Amino acid sequence: MSDAVLSAQAVRKSYASGDATLEVLRGVDLEVQAGESVSIRGESGSGKSTLMNLLAGLDAPDSGTIAWGGSPDTGARRRAAYLGMIFQSFYLVPELDAYENVLLARRILGRVDADARLRARELVSAVGLSGRAHHLPAQLSGGERQRIAIARALMNRPGLVLADEPTGNLDERTGNAVVELLLGLCASAGTALVLVTHNAAHAAKARRSLLMTAGVLGPPA
Amino acid sequence: MPWYLHLAVRQLFPTGRRFPFFTLISTLGVALGVALLVIVMGVMGGFAYEIRHMIVDTEGEIQIVAHGLIGDAPAVMKRVLAVPGVAAATPYARDAVMIKFGDKSAFPALRGLDLASVESVTRLSQYLLVGSLDDLDDDSVILSDQLAASVGANVGDTIEVYSPLIINKLAADAVFLPRQVRVVGILHIGHNQLDSSTVYGTLRLTQDLYGLGSTVHGIDVRVTPGSNEDDVVARLNAVLPEGIRAFSWEDSFSDFLWVLNLERSMIFFLLLFIVIVAAFSVTSSLLISVVRKTREIGLLGALGGRPIQVAACFCAQGLFIGVLGTAVGLALGFSALAVRNHVVLWVARVTQREEVLRRFYQFSELPAHTSGATIALIVVLTIVISTLAGLLPAWRAARLRPVDALRNE
Repeated sequence: MSDAVLSAQAVRKSYASGDATLEVLRGVDLEVQAGESVSIRGESGSGKSTLMNLLAGLDAPDSGTIAWGGSPDTGARRRAAYLGMIFQSFYLVPELDAYENVLLARRILGRVDADARLRARELVSAVGLSGRAHHLPAQLSGGERQRIAIARALMNRPGLVLADEPTGNLDERTGNAVVELLLGLCASAGTALVLVTHNAAHAAKARRSLLMTAGVLGPPA
Repeated sequence: MPWYLHLAVRQLFPTGRRFPFFTLISTLGVALGVALLVIVMGVMGGFAYEIRHMIVDTEGEIQIVAHGLIGDAPAVMKRVLAVPGVAAATPYARDAVMIKFGDKSAFPALRGLDLASVESVTRLSQYLLVGSLDDLDDDSVILSDQLAASVGANVGDTIEVYSPLIINKLAADAVFLPRQVRVVGILHIGHNQLDSSTVYGTLRLTQDLYGLGSTVHGIDVRVTPGSNEDDVVARLNAVLPEGIRAFSWEDSFSDFLWVLNLERSMIFFLLLFIVIVAAFSVTSSLLISVVRKTREIGLLGALGGRPIQVAACFCAQGLFIGVLGTAVGLALGFSALAVRNHVVLWVARVTQREEVLRRFYQFSELPAHTSGATIALIVVLTIVISTLAGLLPAWRAARLRPVDALRNE
């Protein structure tokens, strides 16, 4: 029996573009094992973000199947429990402080208890921001916001984290630190990671690297 | 607390920030509508409440009258007092008279009281400014204060009372001298009409002035506490002789009360539009918020929030603004009611219209009475309207697909 936390088979997706149809994904196959880190690189418009949306269950493929931990249920409720997501633009809720933003992932999943509060504090500390836990996102730098987003992604102890260009809005030094932190935290928690990035150096840090070219996913040349 | 309610509270009252402008304006809009409703409904309710008090305190809750006169008053009284729910009853006679003091005269109504039973039905004693009902006898009267002032009479003075019976006597070439009576009390009820034109005397004095013999014009009834007035009226009418009927004070003033209620309903309906307009401003602000927070809404979906929960987050903001606005509005409204007389008297004094105010509105003070049912209606309607104001933004937010919302850069 496969130990895959994520399995995508023959996934196709196309969009209407005027009278024409734009085929963005042309039969993508991907399997990610528990605790494994996989990087996906590719040019802009190659279909990386579309693939991430499909893998996250935010959009449906035209054909093909996607399963999390062997189950085809990719609904909102399961997503909250099984998946952590990190975006290029951080997407923190501006009215909540750093700690509350981390805790938000658990609130959406259900009741917040003392254990959840403790875990949120530990994660804020693990990303090196314990001194800024009660700062609003507007009071944090880009790197600090992305660290909070990483902590939020790990809050519910997900089996898989999907990170879509998490360093896209950061300078190189900060980006390197964020990727190191993300890989380290996922590795220590045994959480699988799919990292979409333009940065070859960041991609090389993952256990397995893939290249997306014109909607087809494969090993780098 | 569910996450969508927690987030709704945080969006209205963000951590570490002062009261946000949007929350402040939206809450104030709702609060002003509620405050106006409370003030206007309170004052209008006050008129009805004061009128009820005035009638009940001076005439009891039920009035028994005949087409003409009630002949055998003691027998009718006996039947009335035997009816369950009747606590006390007192006969009375009343009609117009002319009074004269020095060179000043007036044409008030004289109400003849049965001193043995009047205090068990009415609360006239508590309206006496000077004197006592105990001082009243067949050669004395109590004047309402404005009437006493208009003729210049005080306690201890003797006034002349003329009744229409004098015309009958003159027609028969008989001499009928006016009745000389002492003023033994001054009374202030608080209603301009009563305070300017009422004389209280004994039943015997009134019967003598009108040649009524032992007959009376009517019987005032007080019901036992907790009794339903309409039920007691029905029981009384079942035992009263033909030609004599009982009416509750509401029956007696049904046209007036209907007009008053119609006025209240119309004004309530019109003032409710202030709350509705405030709700539109809540809708508009929340719609802007949905557009501004499109990516956050997408994020909530990506984190596992369901569309109905995202909708609830925005709907709840309307609800919270409604609750907060209602609370502030109630506080403002009741505070304004508490100082209403100071404000009205100040305005009247500045514009030198104190007398006009008293003459026009009948009451010496601006009355206010707020019923629990009216407040409950205001609270429920305001909160429902405010919550509905959040529905359109909520629907808009719920329709956003996370994948589209997150793409919205």
